[in-house]
Amino acid sequence: MYVEMKGINKNFGSYEAAKDISFRVDQGHLAALLGPSGSGKTTILRMIAGLEQQDSGDVIVDGNVVNHIPAKERGIGFVFQNYALFRHMTVFENIAFGLRVQKKGKKEIRDRVMELVELVGLEGMHKRYPHQLSGGQRQRVAFARALAPKPQLLLLDEPFAAIDAKVRKELRVWLKEMIAQVGITSLFVTHDQEEAVAVADEIMIINEGRLEQMGKPVEIYKKPKTSFVAQFIGTSAVLDDFDGFKGFEEVPKGRKAIVRPEFVEAFKNDNEKVRSLIPAAEKGVITDISFRGSTLELTLEVNGISLTTNRSLERRHVEIGEEMCVLIYRAYILEEDDTTVYKNQMLKGVDVEAL
Amino acid sequence: MRKNTWTRKLAVAALLACTVLVTGCGSGEKKKDSDTIQMTNVSYDPTREFYASYNKIFADYYKEKTGKKVEITQSHGGSGSQARSVLEGNEADVVTLALAHDITLIEDQGLIEEGWLDEFEGNSSPYTSTIVFLVRKGNEKGIKDWEDLTKSGVDVITPDPKSSGGACWNFLAAWEYADRKFGGDEAKIKEFEGDLYKNVLVMDSGARGATTTFVENGQGDVLIAWENEALLTLKEYPDDYELVTPSVSIKAEPSVAIVDENAKKNGTEEVAKEYLQYLYSEDAQKLIGENFYRPSNQDILKTFGETFDLSVEMCTIDDFGGWDQAYEDYFADDKIFDEIYSK
Amino acid sequence: MREEMRDRGRQDGLSPKQGEGGGEMAFGNGDGQKSGQKGIVPILLIAVGVLFFLVMLVLPLVEVIYRSLKDGLESYMNAVTAENTIAALKVTLIAAVIALAVNTFFGLCASWLLTKFEFPGKHVLSVLIDIPFSISPVIAGLAYIMTFGRMGWATPIVEQINEWLGTDISLVFSIPGVVLATIFVTFPFVSRELIPVMQAQGSKEEEAAVMLGARGLTIFRKVTFPHIKWALLYGIILCAARAFGEFGAVYAVSKARGKTFTLPLEIDALYMAGSADSITQAFAVSSLLVALAIIILILKQIVEYCGKDNR
Repeated sequence: MYVEMKGINKNFGSYEAAKDISFRVDQGHLAALLGPSGSGKTTILRMIAGLEQQDSGDVIVDGNVVNHIPAKERGIGFVFQNYALFRHMTVFENIAFGLRVQKKGKKEIRDRVMELVELVGLEGMHKRYPHQLSGGQRQRVAFARALAPKPQLLLLDEPFAAIDAKVRKELRVWLKEMIAQVGITSLFVTHDQEEAVAVADEIMIINEGRLEQMGKPVEIYKKPKTSFVAQFIGTSAVLDDFDGFKGFEEVPKGRKAIVRPEFVEAFKNDNEKVRSLIPAAEKGVITDISFRGSTLELTLEVNGISLTTNRSLERRHVEIGEEMCVLIYRAYILEEDDTTVYKNQMLKGVDVEAL
Repeated sequence: MRKNTWTRKLAVAALLACTVLVTGCGSGEKKKDSDTIQMTNVSYDPTREFYASYNKIFADYYKEKTGKKVEITQSHGGSGSQARSVLEGNEADVVTLALAHDITLIEDQGLIEEGWLDEFEGNSSPYTSTIVFLVRKGNEKGIKDWEDLTKSGVDVITPDPKSSGGACWNFLAAWEYADRKFGGDEAKIKEFEGDLYKNVLVMDSGARGATTTFVENGQGDVLIAWENEALLTLKEYPDDYELVTPSVSIKAEPSVAIVDENAKKNGTEEVAKEYLQYLYSEDAQKLIGENFYRPSNQDILKTFGETFDLSVEMCTIDDFGGWDQAYEDYFADDKIFDEIYSK
Repeated sequence: MREEMRDRGRQDGLSPKQGEGGGEMAFGNGDGQKSGQKGIVPILLIAVGVLFFLVMLVLPLVEVIYRSLKDGLESYMNAVTAENTIAALKVTLIAAVIALAVNTFFGLCASWLLTKFEFPGKHVLSVLIDIPFSISPVIAGLAYIMTFGRMGWATPIVEQINEWLGTDISLVFSIPGVVLATIFVTFPFVSRELIPVMQAQGSKEEEAAVMLGARGLTIFRKVTFPHIKWALLYGIILCAARAFGEFGAVYAVSKARGKTFTLPLEIDALYMAGSADSITQAFAVSSLLVALAIIILILKQIVEYCGKDNR
């Protein structure tokens, strides 16, 4: 147990940024606070750092309640969204800043800074100024700077938000490796679920100041606990009343359900392979087609409900208005706190992949 | 980083200067070295040159008499304004103002003891003057007397009675003329003054200011001035101006007084008394004449017959009932001057 | 929360380039000409500007220098080194230096307060700081007298303080009065220069420094100050320029020539002295002020130049 928040509440006037937030992140883990803009995730991060003060609740680091310890004494490294590098100092000076504050000796500072410069892959650039670096390079300086004073905890606020998409992927990998290498407990904030899923050991979904769900990425994806989580992760359709679909007779009536695109498959009416499954299929009409870079996303109206599915570009051309056979393999049904996977009984034994 | 220490040194230096000054000011203002006595003379506008010279001869005299050095600080401005500044804290040891009324103002606030008027001879007026006109060479507008100032197309320069003592004397001199002309008909006199003041182009806050406006700034056709101002201007610019003496004028008696409360506080009572008394000495009276003020000493006055027109017909402030009465009737708020000027 | 809002903006995906095409159209006139870029209007504007500048600034300055040397160099030197002139120069410099020190300090504090913190009454403070700009200096001087003059309401307090400290400091018609009046009229200059810069800067770098363990003073020295260095210097220079030239407020609280007169007051006294000589002397002393002004202008240019390099 390394970082813990217990019953944290925070209001900015009438805006509720955090409502009874409780979670813990273990030593050495890399956790993500994931949520839409305005969900309060950055506020939570700042409260751990001490840059904001909670209205009630405790922030606990390594077993100690740090509520009344000022930010500068908490020994926490923070990487800001736009890096907040000291513009008039060199890379060296930026990284050395925390060490100078700790009044370390000249040699010690030099050694540690150069060690970090090498660690983040910026050899030879330590005399440059921030404005002479690219976004990715600045990011790495910010990271090194935060790590220099050997903090016990590392917090990152949307570390990749200001970086080009291509560089972002590389940096993500790099960051995950770095953090694993250094072995420091880390928490980062992001609104990009792809990023969270790719980088973090655990994800905490935050929505409107509430912690919706915490768990490993795959867990969250496969077992969303609330409708928000189910909708937020992956693209999916939320159905208010899942009823009347073939093969789902045992589903309790009147529940909300999540149907992900990968649970749905659409076939042209004359497709040979599915002829035997037609009794299990619903009829659907294409209402929208979008190009998604590597696949097509089809929106179909089935029994008065919109469902989405992905369709490979290799397959035959389809048009809006075309009638298709729609197979629904499974759905998540939302209960009180839990979701259950229901499989289409009529498709038992069918190898979905082979279709 | 270099600039950092540089600016910090500057800041420290400035702070040091500050503290030095504050402590310096506190103790240093009144006594430089214990031998030099500091005294302040708050005077009216035109007396700048006179007191510059007088202060020198007085310092010599005092040094000879008592062995002590005395340094006099001068302040000049419109007489009324100067009186007010003394009330507000200008620490004058003596005041040498344009009219007794301004000194009375200070007396009323308790800074000057009663009976000051009789403390020195001649109602505490070591010098007198009168009111004349100054016109440009050639006197194009043919200014001869007060009524020429009321004609249309004539631009008059005279200061503001609310702040200037000389301005009050100007007003009353004109009044005297009109009084005689219209046989005491107040309505006609007021109309006369009204026409005159309608012609006023610029109204300065002090007599010297008015002179500057007329001479250096070249404004107006005629300046209603202290006689001493007019004579001084003629001395400086002999080819450019002419002095015109009106048929009737007023004997202006600028008064002097010790500001008792300040003098007591500063320990300058004795010096102040000597300072004002010495104005009546022969040497001083001569200096007074040389500076174009009429010495109160009649004998010495006669020796300046070339300088002054001794035959001018003059009324006095007593004809108006004394300054307290006159100020109240004419220059107090909403009284006759305000009445005339705002029409 | 602010970060979240900015996220939203970025996620909207509107790149700046998308708006540009439309903007270009708006600048040209209807028939698609690139007018306004060449042609008579810029030339006219420049001509008017230059003419204005010449008439209002250059000609009077030249006149001052010319008139001051009219009676010859010796008379010029005499006027400039006269006892009253030197005394006035001293007072002017003392008042300016102290006003600079005080206003720099308070300007820094006020700007820091206003840009880095939220507190009730923040707007009131901001308005208060700007008051010296909006009221006439003469009114300031008079108000000052009303407060600290012999009959002022704060005078008993000042007298009480004098008693405790064993001093005899008077706040009107004295050098402290001149200094305080100067401080008042030059007060907003430093903070007005600093506030926009500090606001634009934001507080992220300061927060980063906090997280790295730095104390308040360290943060100010190492993080905040380097950013505001040039704005601060610029504000100080403006402050100095104003302090040197102040007349109205100082005139109300200073009546003693040779003791509490500043250069502007001395020039006025010389001008009012009535003789032809003293007029020339007045111009000679004026040229001192002009010299001070030129020094300040040069300093300003240097600061601007160096400041540009450091961006």
